[in-house]
Amino acid sequence: MSDQSMIQARKLTKVYKRGGETLRVLDELDLDIDAGGFFALMGPSGSGKTTLLNLIGGLDDATSGQLIVDGTDVAELTGSELAQWRSDNVGFVFQGFNLIPVLTALENVMLPLGLTPLSKSEQRKQAEYALELVSMSDRMKHRPRQLSGGQEQRVAIARAIATDPKLILADEPTGDLDRDSANAVLELMTKLNQELGKTILMVTHDPLAAEFATNQIHLDKGRLAEVRERGAKSGAAAAGQLGGE
Amino acid sequence: MVPISYTLRSLFVRRSSTLLTILGIAATVAVLAGVLALQQGFDRLFAGSGSESVAVFMRPGANAEGESQFPRDKAQTLIKGQPAIATDDQGRPLAAMEAYVALRLPRIGGGETNVPVRGVEPLTYAIHGDSVRIVEGRWPVPGTDEIAVGNKLVERMQNCRMGDVLPLNLSPMRVVGVFASDGPYGSEIWGDLDRILDALERANPNRVIARVVDGTDLEVLNDELEVDPQVPAKVQSERTYLSNQTGLLSAILITLGSFMAIVMGAAAVFTATNTMLSAVASRTHEIGILLSIGYRPVPIFVAFILESLVLGLLGGLVGCLIVLPINGIETGTTNFATFTEVAFAFRITPLVLGVAVAFSLVLGLLGGAWPAWRASRMRPTEALRRM
Repeated sequence: MSDQSMIQARKLTKVYKRGGETLRVLDELDLDIDAGGFFALMGPSGSGKTTLLNLIGGLDDATSGQLIVDGTDVAELTGSELAQWRSDNVGFVFQGFNLIPVLTALENVMLPLGLTPLSKSEQRKQAEYALELVSMSDRMKHRPRQLSGGQEQRVAIARAIATDPKLILADEPTGDLDRDSANAVLELMTKLNQELGKTILMVTHDPLAAEFATNQIHLDKGRLAEVRERGAKSGAAAAGQLGGE
Repeated sequence: MVPISYTLRSLFVRRSSTLLTILGIAATVAVLAGVLALQQGFDRLFAGSGSESVAVFMRPGANAEGESQFPRDKAQTLIKGQPAIATDDQGRPLAAMEAYVALRLPRIGGGETNVPVRGVEPLTYAIHGDSVRIVEGRWPVPGTDEIAVGNKLVERMQNCRMGDVLPLNLSPMRVVGVFASDGPYGSEIWGDLDRILDALERANPNRVIARVVDGTDLEVLNDELEVDPQVPAKVQSERTYLSNQTGLLSAILITLGSFMAIVMGAAAVFTATNTMLSAVASRTHEIGILLSIGYRPVPIFVAFILESLVLGLLGGLVGCLIVLPINGIETGTTNFATFTEVAFAFRITPLVLGVAVAFSLVLGLLGGAWPAWRASRMRPTEALRRM
């Protein structure tokens, strides 16, 4: 594992049992992702993209194999430690925005900060700064239903970066957005990657969205199928060492 | 800790079910508070009245004057010979015999009830002092068929107004006065001792009351008199006597209140549980968001328990508001110590309100525990999948 490594997966396997059926969603996946890159995770439905994202984000447990994220073996953490680790190290952006409807934009962004030792006023200051970064300062008192889809996703991104995590995990962040709003969100994510040095791993079906990433990782049937750098026509299907910019 | 604003605002997103739950808890709390207010009113009437310096002498073993018989000769011996009995400025012992009979009389609104009829001697009024006072008319003249009625009977019983003639057994008695009392005497009819005994065909008075010399230890006196070969008697202060009369009815009211609270409380807990289960079900996705952000199960459990406690508290406060107007309303019930009806007022005391609110919080806690536990046990990925 290199000094720059953010994610290292070895023989990572996830098996679901539904009824009498066994579903091998990730099949001994090997993958290395360096810190500081913007990665698009692609593949057909059922290829294991979201499952991989959930394992990396500590939302789910692997069936077997090893997964080290930013130096931490997430499989070794207890439920409570995992919650703390998520709060400190990972920001999530979801397709459905996942804002709490009864809270204002500012309060939504302050949610993860409530888990830090910061005082209320410091939390507020930091949340305001995060909203400023996503150009939503003028909407901080608005509730989610008073915002457009693009604006909601910007608030969700502000929430993801509020605690200044190194890793942002995005699951189809533009899936519910029109093209203009999607582009604005993708530009924002590029800015977070390039200017703030966040490592971004984004699940997407959309080839246009994937073009914003520096690297594309293709999964198929739970295995790594292809790795492609931006501009390259295709890459080798291998357990590739993926470098960030 | 999950922000309190999230907890409070979430309650009002589902207004209808929140309101119904609050009303369910409020009704339960109101019933409990109502019964407790009844008990408090009764308790105050008896336990809060009576004098420490007035002694009540009864037959040994009697718990209420209705059970006691005190033959005249023994009563006279006691009154003349007991040094603990105080005297007035003419040197007369401040003691009087009293007869006590429960008589079935017609109510104004229909039906009958047992009313205590007390035969008194002239010194009775001096012994009671200001705690029993004429508010209309005058006291009966000794030796005549005149009676005075307690003010709480005037509007409740037939033939109990000034000037009315009330037949006691077969003897017509004229109402010449209405008196008020700080204690339960306000629900009684008083007349001359001998005329009452005659009219009701009783041979002996039931008790002797007396003012006692300052510093008299009634417990010591009781120990002496209980084994006295000449005039065996049980003695206690009037306050203790009246307080002891509340025991049975208080216990019945508290048992009744507790029983109703448990039955209705169980229903209210189910309502609260249902509301909170719906809240958890409809907010499963939000629970997933909180978990994915890094909130642990315990803060999520606390958030939902808090929500349920707020539901309970609101129900409790509404219940207290519902029951407040009954404060001071007079009612009557049977005192099981004497089997006579006694009138008293509902009393909403701080204790009643405190118990009511505490009870509502318990309902909220019980109703919210299981749903909150379910919420805290969710897996983030499964919770996030539910919309």
